[in-house]
Amino acid sequence: MSGFETYLLERTQAKDSHLLKVARGLGTYGALKKILDTPLTPKDVIEELKESGLRGRGGAGFPTGLKWSFMPDADKDTRKRYLALNADESEPGTCKDRVLMREDPHTVIEGCLIAAFAMRLDAVYIYVRGEYRVPYERLAVAIEEARTAGLVGPRILGSDFSCEIHMHKGAGAYICGEETGLMESLEGKRGHPRPKPPFPAGFGLWGQPTTVNNVETIYNAPFILERGAQWFRSMGTKKSPGNFLCGISGHVEKPGVYEIPLGMPARQILDEFAGGVWKKRALKAWIPGGSSTGFLKPDAIDTSMDHDSLKEAQSMFGTGAMIILDETASVVRSALTLMNFYEHESCGQCSQCREGTQWLAQIFQRIHDGQGRMEDIQLLEDLANGMAPGKTICALSDAAAIPTHSVIRNFKDELVEYVREGGHPDLRGKQPAVHQEVGV
Amino acid sequence: MSQSEAKDSGARDTAMVTITINGREVEADPSKPLIAACHAEGEEVPHYCYHPGLSPVGSCRICQVGVQQGQMPPRVMAACRTPVAEGMVVDTEAPKAHDARRECLEFLLKNHPLDCPICDKAGECTLQDYSFDEGQGEGRSVEPRRKLDKRKSLGDVIVLDQERCILCSRCVRFFEEVPETPQLCIGERGSHSVVETFMNRPLTGNYQGNLADICPVGALTLKEFRFQARVWNLHKVASTCAGCSRGCAVTTEVLRKHEVKRFRPRHEPAVNGYWMCDTGRFALEAPNREHRLCGGILRGGSGQAQPVDTRTALEVARDMLIVHGEALIVASPFLTVEEGRELLALGKTLGARPVFLSPEPNDLTDDLLHTGDPCPNRRGLSELGFDALPVEEVLETLPSYESALLVGERLIDMLGAKNLATLPTALRVVLLECHYVDSPSIDVAVGIPNHVEREGTWVNVDGHAGRIAIARPTPEGVWMATRTIDTLHELLTMSAPGADAPGSATPGAIPSTPGAEATLG
Repeated sequence: MSGFETYLLERTQAKDSHLLKVARGLGTYGALKKILDTPLTPKDVIEELKESGLRGRGGAGFPTGLKWSFMPDADKDTRKRYLALNADESEPGTCKDRVLMREDPHTVIEGCLIAAFAMRLDAVYIYVRGEYRVPYERLAVAIEEARTAGLVGPRILGSDFSCEIHMHKGAGAYICGEETGLMESLEGKRGHPRPKPPFPAGFGLWGQPTTVNNVETIYNAPFILERGAQWFRSMGTKKSPGNFLCGISGHVEKPGVYEIPLGMPARQILDEFAGGVWKKRALKAWIPGGSSTGFLKPDAIDTSMDHDSLKEAQSMFGTGAMIILDETASVVRSALTLMNFYEHESCGQCSQCREGTQWLAQIFQRIHDGQGRMEDIQLLEDLANGMAPGKTICALSDAAAIPTHSVIRNFKDELVEYVREGGHPDLRGKQPAVHQEVGV
Repeated sequence: MSQSEAKDSGARDTAMVTITINGREVEADPSKPLIAACHAEGEEVPHYCYHPGLSPVGSCRICQVGVQQGQMPPRVMAACRTPVAEGMVVDTEAPKAHDARRECLEFLLKNHPLDCPICDKAGECTLQDYSFDEGQGEGRSVEPRRKLDKRKSLGDVIVLDQERCILCSRCVRFFEEVPETPQLCIGERGSHSVVETFMNRPLTGNYQGNLADICPVGALTLKEFRFQARVWNLHKVASTCAGCSRGCAVTTEVLRKHEVKRFRPRHEPAVNGYWMCDTGRFALEAPNREHRLCGGILRGGSGQAQPVDTRTALEVARDMLIVHGEALIVASPFLTVEEGRELLALGKTLGARPVFLSPEPNDLTDDLLHTGDPCPNRRGLSELGFDALPVEEVLETLPSYESALLVGERLIDMLGAKNLATLPTALRVVLLECHYVDSPSIDVAVGIPNHVEREGTWVNVDGHAGRIAIARPTPEGVWMATRTIDTLHELLTMSAPGADAPGSATPGAIPSTPGAEATLG
């Protein structure tokens, strides 16, 4: 196994790492103390983050320091401002934030406090996926512990810096993980994404300046502040520095969450960490960064896991959650599963997404069931073109279009075979499935 | 004034910016979205969820246009959620924008039932129009269409067809933003979304009818208008609502030159914005009431009502008014400024006191449009010099006069037929009305057109002049009201004091004019 420096999962390995006592022993809140004692200015913190080149780990890979700097100058704009921590981790295949919240909630809190200090705000909302019961409870307990210890609330560690952290539990909607949908949901409304502009930094939660960050992104901040931007840049690639948490799932021997430096070839992650494709089978397809990044062919497995390399491979780094399909898997059936997911999770505002996700699911269903037509392949492509890119309010429509395009681009043979031979191999020669009419 | 209009006028202070739309440099208001600037330039940009009187949500995604800003390459953007910025270059006909709109239409039509032949909206449906303009002519979906509730009653006014709905949410926002009584919502999610009322309660309020206007498709239709007419058979005329003293700008829509089928609001920023109330919208009974008074009616010495032509009736009226000179002129609050002016001149010749009938305010008043005052031209008539007199006062005052000239529609209704019958027999009553009531106290009656058959000006409560227009021909034998008043005035002038008094000033002597007999329509 290749040697490289690790930090993301170090603290989570200790026994009872979620308790303040243990966490402090591991160095948690050291970065916050350093900032307050030195003292660093908010500008210094943002500069350090910019210098480090940290990119958001929630999917889009936007430079975090730059995002923080978009918040209006607090001297000129005295409105109340917020940080919303996006812990609504629900992209299929993604399970990294869960580990951090469950095993090391205090570093998550420390990250929030550092971000709050940098953006000069005193209210943080943590939006936790509803199904994440244990992570939610661990975080809630940790916040109370920190409050008792004077780490959350007024005058943190005796300084002038005050910050309150609030928790919010999601109710099971994928769309609430979209940053503007998350804000609507936090405000108590339906999780309908908002059109941008206006952007959250100017008009966010309750119309106030807001930044939304992913848990893993925030988790990186204390380490960068403590060890320095140059240390951070010593890991990963030039344009995507640092390590990331790779949740690898599917047909592998050892599924799990691994700490990987950005830029490691996917094959190395699969073979050295996940133990290779299970049962010594061959690889048929893989998804690099969560379901929305599409299906790639085995020959792309040598691609480096970083933002630019995957973009070149016509995919995305996304959340860094790899899904592995072995030679026995059906890409059409997998795509159908994904389309059913997107149809179920579309909020229904935009025409293309509301109708398109349903239509894609229906076509994949027909092809899967042996009722596909050759022209359906062109139709799938046209529909995906109509849904993306950037044609809708949020990226859910794109998230359904990208896998569709990838199936047509990379696994067209399988589509053609399904149409010709009468659907999924298990169904061939059998009574065709009866299609039920959709409705209430 | 509607709330949205108030918002509009409040935002006018911002400096205008210069943008280019389809090659023309134009000034645009940065407080409004790009689509408003395009529409102001006369460029048709398809839209469903966007409505100029409601907040933009940018959800239907049909309003995609090509936009270039600064050094960025041209992009296709939703015009209703794109702010206007200095130097922006817009191409509404960009091929990529056309493609995006065509694709969007294909999605919108995927589950649409295409029951246009029986849809009330057909002909004024923008889903039809834009499909015709930019759609692809052939559906590619072989999937079963969504089956939903096709006739869901939403109360007394509106029926919802959930299958036709394209979920633009205009109706939801209308209730939230205009009457500010949120009652509708989008239920379920994604492809299962439907418009519904909270807890399935019926809709309430006096503004429900607007839903049928703003619904871009035939999902929300009026129970009143359902299956009543094909809209292309309606003759449409810009006019003013007679429902109250707000005088909302409306379109009067008449089927086959006969029946008024709809009143619909017409955009008038200074008065009603885009809206109107249901009281005004459904005031179809009065203009459509049958048994019109056509020509004249005289009550002779025999006491029997006898039809005559208009001129004959007016001559008799002249004779009566000259002999019984001390007259009270009672105008209907529906008279136009032009008619009022003629009547005032006549009154001056006669030396009569001019008043207009001012019924009690009703309890329909609200903060939005309805004033509760049933007199559409109160302000116009008052400013001309008519005194407003309540019904009881008119009835009390009348017996102290020798004669009365009652002019205008709905006077019988407002005064009450019973009250008219109890007027003293000594009082000579000349009535110019749309309808007739067989009453011993009415000596001469002449038919006039009602407010959908006349033209002229009403001045609303805020002093805004609204035109009423001729939406259908007058019934046969009925003269324009101004001509009737003018003729009577002329007749009176010809026989001014000094001229020979006419031989017979009492009703009964009816000159016979063969072939010119009036009829009770």
